[in-house]
Amino acid sequence: MSNTITLKELKEKGAARCPGAPSTQDIIASDKVAAPGWVRSESYQFLGDEDIPTDRYIDPAFARLELDTLWKKTWQFACREEHIPQVGDYHVYDLGHYSFIITRVAADEIRAYYNACLHRGTKLRASGTEGNAEEFKCSFHGWSWNLDGSHKETVCHWDFPHVDPQKFTLPQARVERIGGFVFINMDPNAPTLAEYLGPEAKSHIDAWNLQDRYVYLHVTKRLPCNWKLAIEAFQEAYHVIETHPQVAPSNGDANSQYDVYGEHVDRFISTLGVVSPHLYGQVSEQDILNQFTLGDSSALGDTKFTVKDGGTARAVMAEMFRGMFEKATNTDLSKVSDSELLDCFSYTVFPNTFLFPGISLPMVYRFRPDKNDHRKCLYEVLFLRPVPKDGARPMPAEPIHLRDEQSFTEAEGMDPGFGAILDQDTDNVGLQQEGIEASAKRGLTLGNYQEIRLRHFEQAVDRYVGKKG
Amino acid sequence: MIDEADAAAAAAFTPVLKLADLPANTKKAVQVGAKCLLVCNVNDKLYAIANVCSHNEKPLERGRMGNGWIACPVHGARFDLSTGAALNLPAKLPIATYEVRVSGDDVEVLV
Repeated sequence: MSNTITLKELKEKGAARCPGAPSTQDIIASDKVAAPGWVRSESYQFLGDEDIPTDRYIDPAFARLELDTLWKKTWQFACREEHIPQVGDYHVYDLGHYSFIITRVAADEIRAYYNACLHRGTKLRASGTEGNAEEFKCSFHGWSWNLDGSHKETVCHWDFPHVDPQKFTLPQARVERIGGFVFINMDPNAPTLAEYLGPEAKSHIDAWNLQDRYVYLHVTKRLPCNWKLAIEAFQEAYHVIETHPQVAPSNGDANSQYDVYGEHVDRFISTLGVVSPHLYGQVSEQDILNQFTLGDSSALGDTKFTVKDGGTARAVMAEMFRGMFEKATNTDLSKVSDSELLDCFSYTVFPNTFLFPGISLPMVYRFRPDKNDHRKCLYEVLFLRPVPKDGARPMPAEPIHLRDEQSFTEAEGMDPGFGAILDQDTDNVGLQQEGIEASAKRGLTLGNYQEIRLRHFEQAVDRYVGKKG
Repeated sequence: MIDEADAAAAAAFTPVLKLADLPANTKKAVQVGAKCLLVCNVNDKLYAIANVCSHNEKPLERGRMGNGWIACPVHGARFDLSTGAALNLPAKLPIATYEVRVSGDDVEVLV
């Protein structure tokens, strides 16, 4: 038998879809308010079916390699523009041992300074902090830098004749912005953010106008797994029926759509307000409505709804949600499609950011390795709401830092149903980390379609750490 | 009925500025006797704190206010506006906080 894959086999691999179920595009095409082009397109690609080697999740040498390669060369979401609205405002962003002061140096210019004094290395600002500075002064000996990074003062300059102030400008990482997100990249030779995202994915992100939203809720928690396992846990809806049985009656899980865009962006669209193909014949339209779970259901109050004879839960929810979200968030959603109101759109921007541009599930996720333990990571979930119609932008929410043993439902402002879902997801990954370490099998086996985002993600990891390509 | 303790407390509240002079998301330094205080109006709440960083004894009045905190502009130490607790290095010690209330048009503090 030949090892060569024929063109016919390649076309067939990854071509199978959930039998007997409408596609995501079929479901969306039946909606009353039509979805925009970025929703109504597909971009799946078969990328192979080999196992993913598991040393990447458990080997400390692999984690060090990632810090020396992947994290130094990729575009990373550092903060939202609203975290630094005024000139002089700064936000400290850390990745592993790396640390940057993200600073607005002019009304429309943001810089990312390496967060270390050029004298003896002290951090110029503590990690995890924000503030406003007219200068960056080291708390150890008082060396200082102007907002534009130029060296301001060497205390006792007479003792440092070898210090040329011109050569003591604060080193910078690159900064680019999209949709109100500030991205940084340590690699001076990296492609632009636009090139990195690719034209199609960038056009999607541009269409969302996420600059018109603000951080309504921000929760952080350390997870007991390597950062890549945490990311993968959120890249497919395949796990819904087993992990989130309470959601399946109102989620088209097995017939979700998966797409890849270039090297750094992928997505799924998981329709809500429709029953899981796993439960066909067992659930009524009213059941679907009753069990729909929202990420931001605080906007809905305690209102209950019913499906009329011959109607669908999805149609009822689209109609009702539009009005209620408009009222609750003081925004105009009249032109927003049913799909954008209801469905879960999950995009990953490699390496560690998820964007969910929908209205009912309006999250951003960020995952970062724990700098002291490669078998742990820091997970953040941010909920973005539209800025109110009157234009007053609320301050971004302060992060709520959960302890390891706490439930997401304990975070003030978190919808209890959604918090329970996050608990289920993050309970899985601790068992997975331990299981991978215990396993006699040294590879992860992936589905060709439903787990394509994981393969797409890990292939990008391989390229950056130099394992392939 | 007001008992003596309440009466004493009420008497000790000092008007420091007009509420109209402290718009939302602003702060003002005021002098009460020998003490320099910072009165802050942020996210619809009033706070009164000592206008001095516990780390390097510099004034806080040019610092940025966030949701419930103020950051020293010199080295970035942040303090909880309600409790005065230091939230991050280089400060570890708290700053003083004072009761604040609105009485008529006046903002008053208890020093």
